[in-house]
Amino acid sequence: MKLYKKEGNILQVLSFPNENAEKGDYLLIEDPDARKALIAQVIDVQFASIPGVLEELLRTLPDGGVPIQGEDIDPLEIAPHITYIQDASLLVCKTRATLENEALSPSNSWLPSRSQSTIKKLSVPMLLKLANVEGTRPIILGGTKDSSLLTIDATAVDGTLNIITGKKGCGKSYLSKLLMASLIGYKATVVLFDLNGEYTSIGMTHDGKRNMYYDKVHALTPSQNFKVALDQLHLNVVMGILIHALHLPGTSSREFRRLWKHLKEKGRLTLQDLGEAIRNLNCNQHVRDALSSRYHALVNSGFFTDNLAESTLLDECLLKAKDHGGAIVINLRNTSTIDRQIVVEYVLGKLVDSLQSWKLNAVFLFAEEAHLYLRETYWDDIVTRMRHFGIFTTFITNQPDTIRESIYRQADNIFLFNFTNEHDLDVVSRASRVDAETVRSIARDLPPHHCLTLGKVVHDFPIVTRVRALDIKTMGETRLFFKNTK
Amino acid sequence: MLEQQPSKLRLKRQPIALKPNHQETIIAAVDTSTIKIGETSTGSIIAIRGATTWKQNRKYRYTRLGPFIFHITEENKNEVYSTLEKATFNTYYSSNRHASPHLMQMPTRLASLLERWLQTMLAKTLSHGLILFDGSLTSGTFDTPVQRMKEILSLARRNQNIVLAFSKMTSLRVNGYLITEHLPKHEPPYLLETTGLRFKPPIVVLGDVYVARLNKANYAFRLDIDRETPFQHRMAAVEKLLGNDLYMQGYPETLRLAHILCTFTANEVLAIKHFITRKHGIQIINRPDMHRLLFGPFGKGEIYS
Repeated sequence: MKLYKKEGNILQVLSFPNENAEKGDYLLIEDPDARKALIAQVIDVQFASIPGVLEELLRTLPDGGVPIQGEDIDPLEIAPHITYIQDASLLVCKTRATLENEALSPSNSWLPSRSQSTIKKLSVPMLLKLANVEGTRPIILGGTKDSSLLTIDATAVDGTLNIITGKKGCGKSYLSKLLMASLIGYKATVVLFDLNGEYTSIGMTHDGKRNMYYDKVHALTPSQNFKVALDQLHLNVVMGILIHALHLPGTSSREFRRLWKHLKEKGRLTLQDLGEAIRNLNCNQHVRDALSSRYHALVNSGFFTDNLAESTLLDECLLKAKDHGGAIVINLRNTSTIDRQIVVEYVLGKLVDSLQSWKLNAVFLFAEEAHLYLRETYWDDIVTRMRHFGIFTTFITNQPDTIRESIYRQADNIFLFNFTNEHDLDVVSRASRVDAETVRSIARDLPPHHCLTLGKVVHDFPIVTRVRALDIKTMGETRLFFKNTK
Repeated sequence: MLEQQPSKLRLKRQPIALKPNHQETIIAAVDTSTIKIGETSTGSIIAIRGATTWKQNRKYRYTRLGPFIFHITEENKNEVYSTLEKATFNTYYSSNRHASPHLMQMPTRLASLLERWLQTMLAKTLSHGLILFDGSLTSGTFDTPVQRMKEILSLARRNQNIVLAFSKMTSLRVNGYLITEHLPKHEPPYLLETTGLRFKPPIVVLGDVYVARLNKANYAFRLDIDRETPFQHRMAAVEKLLGNDLYMQGYPETLRLAHILCTFTANEVLAIKHFITRKHGIQIINRPDMHRLLFGPFGKGEIYS
């Protein structure tokens, strides 16, 4: 390989067919005189502009588009040299760091010698060693192209905002399951909003047996094994549900607040008493109607109960998870939009409550397609207020434009799977830890189950990984019409 | 090759009309090319390559020979040439008669040698076909001794082949005009016959010279046809050519392909440089272009013929 050009932080390297560099590979450009080396990542592979190639190609097709048949008597065997030159490629690389005295610095302001520099591929393990991407809580994400493992440290996702995104069927849920399983392995508390019920069987192997996570995974299905007694609810949580999920107007909200406090004082905070109190409320008819309709929405959700025995599971699960680590999977499958919002409002309120009172240290929240249940104001809350309480969110989506730009700007880690749509790539490239060219060029060509890892976990060295498959029962498969029909 | 202007050259204004004859006939063509790869401290590296193409059963095929690479120095140029001449023709027509060629002329000399050899092979192996040469049937030069050209034409005749030599450029003029310009207003294809063509010795033209306009494209070419071929056979040969080959700008496709296939592309030059450096460790010197050095943008470099 030979250094050809440098413009800004873009390097162009001439590569010959036997050198076999691909998108995502890292190169070490060592200048022996300067005693420094540039670390650059290949973001695109193009044909080198070799003079005469067009003529070469044209003359092979002169006979009406059909290759002309013939024999080449080439006693000196020049033909392999011709193809060698013809197949030379130009590697467009992005400089990532400078290596000097075995220490990395982000500077790339110097120019390595074009004639003296030697260029070689830098293996991922070597890069990770140089970048000091190691720790005491390793999470093996998967294999890299050079048959090494990409291992990140669990502490690098601690306190961070993460995004897992890619188009449908490219392996996002594989990675989220892997991260979840690894985190609970390190006794972390994980809460997951599972839109399609595909995470409920993380505790099972693919053939239906219990795996090592079985006792740590708690699947809660609203209105089935997950119910809440009104008495357990904090007024702010209920108000959040009524205002944001059920759109209760301001006047009615004030009336409800008064009513709630009154029932609380009397120790009669049950569904039945609440319904009774609303019916007997002496107020404007419209206000009573508004409260009554919301009350019925709460009752019809089936999520609320007066039976205290039914309503202790979330607390129990959180308690277990706090001590031994565990995942609480909130199964939102078969839950209506309104009910979903009610459940999410409740869970988030409950988490904040538990964190504020130090019942929990911190929670890793995995939110799948969050735009379907997260209210507008929560987006900013999650990256600011809730983060400080100890809720560290990972958004999982196949529609990157549904996540707000502010989330991208503040994301610490992005796990990017394949996207072919330019618009989707544009959205993701707004993330501050990502450069747009890398995202556009590499993500477009990622094969299924390969992910471009960007951000803090890889010390800002984007690395492509084939996500490791876990022996976990798959539940997220799409039901197909033709699968079982002959 | 520079053509010396002959005296008394005449061009008959009455065209010989041609009618394409589609009787299946093999058309074969030969061309060679040469290129200077670079200079070394003692001489030059050159490469030559030849191609024969033929059209048979409506399909074009080719055989390409080379590239052959030579390191030519003042010391070895005669030896290289005579060794090759001996290897290809087993004769020394040229080396004793003329002074040694200039180093700069060696690429064309070696390419000519290859071209004549390929023509000989084609004349020997083909029968009842048309053999197209690139250039004229002029002989008596260092590159093309008269005897060698006579032997090629004789071999061709012996195998019932007819040689048609097309020149892309000519300097032959009648009344001050190039013979391929100022064409009569006549529906092509046609030939114009020339008379009175004589060159000063030792130059000899072994063919009769025509101007051939083979299709409606406004291009005509000098066409030399073996003088020993009877007139009727000559016309029949051109008509068979018209009926069996394709034409781009009035030039036979078989000959065009031969030219295309043997021409060196810039990519190949790079590959040859790569080969000689890798395989033989020969370093090519980048001598400064004195024209550029002295005259900057006004220095256009030396122009060689």
